[in-house]
Amino acid sequence: MNHLIKFCFALFVLCTSAAASAQVNIEINTPGVATLKQSMQARHAQLAEFYASGAVGLTADGMIALRDANAVPMAGRQKVNGLVAAENQDRKALYAEIARANAHPEWEGDIRNTFAQRWIQHAQAGWWVQNGGSWTKK
Amino acid sequence: MELSYPMLNKTIIYSKIHLPNCRLSGLIFFCLLSLSAPLYAVQITLNVADVAAPSFTARGIKVVLAQEGSAEFSIDELHMAEKIWRKVHIYCTEFLLNSAHVTCHKGKLDVIPDLPFTFSYEFSSQQLELQFTANANELWQVSADFRAKPWRATALLRNAQSKRLTDLLPSNGALPKQGTLNGTLVIHGDKAGVSKINADLQLADLAATDASGLHAAEKLSGKLHINADRAGQKWNWRGALDWQGGELFWQPLYLRGGHTLQASGQWDGAQLQVTQAVVNLPEVGKIELNALWDIKKSNLLEGHLVGENLSLANGFANYAKPFMEQSILSATALKGRADVDWQYRNGTTQVLLLQLHDVAVEDGEKRFALHGLNADIPWHAQLQNVAHVAFTDGELMGLPLGATQWQIQMRGMDFTLPTATLPLLDGKLEVSDFHIHNVNNMWQWSFSSTLTSISMQKLSAALHWPEMYGSLSGFIPKMSYLNKLLKVDGTLLFRVFDGTVLANNLELFDPFGRAPRLSGNLDMRELDLDLLTRTFSFGNIQGRIDLGVNNLELVNWLPVRFDAKLASSPGKYRKKISQKAVENISSLGGAGGIAALQRSFLRIFENFGYDRIGLSCMLQNDICTMGGVENNGNVYTIVKGGGIPAITVIGYNRKVHWSELLNRLKRVSQDNKAVIK
Repeated sequence: MNHLIKFCFALFVLCTSAAASAQVNIEINTPGVATLKQSMQARHAQLAEFYASGAVGLTADGMIALRDANAVPMAGRQKVNGLVAAENQDRKALYAEIARANAHPEWEGDIRNTFAQRWIQHAQAGWWVQNGGSWTKK
Repeated sequence: MELSYPMLNKTIIYSKIHLPNCRLSGLIFFCLLSLSAPLYAVQITLNVADVAAPSFTARGIKVVLAQEGSAEFSIDELHMAEKIWRKVHIYCTEFLLNSAHVTCHKGKLDVIPDLPFTFSYEFSSQQLELQFTANANELWQVSADFRAKPWRATALLRNAQSKRLTDLLPSNGALPKQGTLNGTLVIHGDKAGVSKINADLQLADLAATDASGLHAAEKLSGKLHINADRAGQKWNWRGALDWQGGELFWQPLYLRGGHTLQASGQWDGAQLQVTQAVVNLPEVGKIELNALWDIKKSNLLEGHLVGENLSLANGFANYAKPFMEQSILSATALKGRADVDWQYRNGTTQVLLLQLHDVAVEDGEKRFALHGLNADIPWHAQLQNVAHVAFTDGELMGLPLGATQWQIQMRGMDFTLPTATLPLLDGKLEVSDFHIHNVNNMWQWSFSSTLTSISMQKLSAALHWPEMYGSLSGFIPKMSYLNKLLKVDGTLLFRVFDGTVLANNLELFDPFGRAPRLSGNLDMRELDLDLLTRTFSFGNIQGRIDLGVNNLELVNWLPVRFDAKLASSPGKYRKKISQKAVENISSLGGAGGIAALQRSFLRIFENFGYDRIGLSCMLQNDICTMGGVENNGNVYTIVKGGGIPAITVIGYNRKVHWSELLNRLKRVSQDNKAVIK
């Protein structure tokens, strides 16, 4: 539960700070954004343990990746694959939806970059993040 | 050349040493670096620049022979089996080299200090014995007879620790961490090299992984049997693998033991030919295959796979779905059985014969399902053919589908369904010119259809909407799908609530995605208010309305923006509005809407006459800008009175937050909790 609260807070901080920096209304709340956030929040409860163990890390392009499958019991690696794929689908859709809701679909790349930086900045200590192509532990 | 030191009783041979298939090259020299006095403490050091063989080289070899009979070998760089070892150090407690044999007893390799060895080689008989032994009854033993025709070498493994092979395997692959090997490996050869291999190995409790953990095994156990004979430049081989237990993760596959493989074929160094193979997949069935594999390019040149009566439940879940995490089938479960015949050549599938027997397809997110699916799909890349597909029932986005039979014409990656009937609730969807084809690895399809009368009661129940009356029918001129975008070309026509609904510019993006987005315009004409208000328990209104919704955009089926206008239809018809409907309309217009009403007046009459009804809402940025039949500043007329007794309903506050308006609608739909004060 704590992780979920932290995640929600990080998402909120992320949106507000990203909004300020990119001069885009990243807080914009369309049904699409709400649905995607809800989906990501629900999934975060399952992903949190894998962020903490280092199995999954935050990439420099605003996505997540399975970086060390050895940290997951073998029978669970396929599930983590699925979670990562679904999360990345939602993240991609979220960036596109925010750009579209701002009436600037062409901003998707910038929004994605802004999110990528902020996700990494607000990642919890001990999580793995991608920095210049290599992984570092926060 | 021979040197003798009678006082030391030693014989040292330093001339050429002949090893089978090995040539001592480069500069060989020896230095008696330390024949230091007194002579009884003699130590002899030999330096050899390099030794080369076809698959073996050693550089910077130094041999130190000590007085008590021990010897130390150090090699700066050793190349063997495409691997390099540097600073290799070998120590023999007892080393003997004479004209008859060379032996090393109680030897140790510094890289495997826990595995002492003994070595002997007879020059005359050309027989070699090498034996590594350790605790836990571990044995690696090699016996070779190089004088025999053909020469023969046998490796015997007993509780051999698989992790000792780590240095011999490619470092970027899965490397063994634990587990034992038992069995024998027998090699025969002639002047041209190895001519025959027989291997019988048993693996137990094997664990292996690569650095990323994407290719890993745990507690693997099984048996491997291989026979291979060289005929000229080719090898004929036959093998059997019995994977008895343990688990394997080979991104993205996760498999458990129970698999068996029997195969035979040829290998010529460049291509691996599997002429016949039988794979037994646990809880799926047996597959027979043959294949031609280009080893250097890691490329499948030809393949043919046949499987009969395969169980789709495990077959799809274990071997197909892991590759579909990004697709709509990522949450799909299959049941039933299938026959498969797949032929691959020239970089593409040439033939796929697929027969499905009583298959069930169910989406985990309940978006679609098919039951009782039987199909015969004889697909050929170059031939035109017909596929027969039938199912007993199904479901699409909550709508039940009835029994269906289709005949699909196939021509390469082009599929056509000239006509088809899809039973839908109590009506049917008549599909014509369904055409699906693949362009640049993207599937696109199109069709036109007619929807024959569907009961609105059944439709609303299926979709969990408020119960509606009447029927739905319509015509879809052309619907097409490309790159996640579903488009309706032309105008969609439906008949509902005894009126007509025209929909145009309809587009649905990512229909099966997390947040599908619908856009378009709706033009509804002469809807029967009596049917409509009955549906939504709104209180009764008699009359007809037109409703136009322009610039409609729904995301995840929730409105983001639209420009909607509702107005009484032109023409003569009975116009009555019940007291309950007046209350509800008033509540839609906000709390102030009732100001124009007189409570006593309402109490007397059940129904009122009206002249016109009008209500508009332009939704943008979560704010609905409302309007009515007449607008006057912040005040707008929703119902303009007419007849006796007449009633006029006024709305106030034209800017309403969408969530507030939804709450008002919710209150109305919850059987009128709005109270007139």
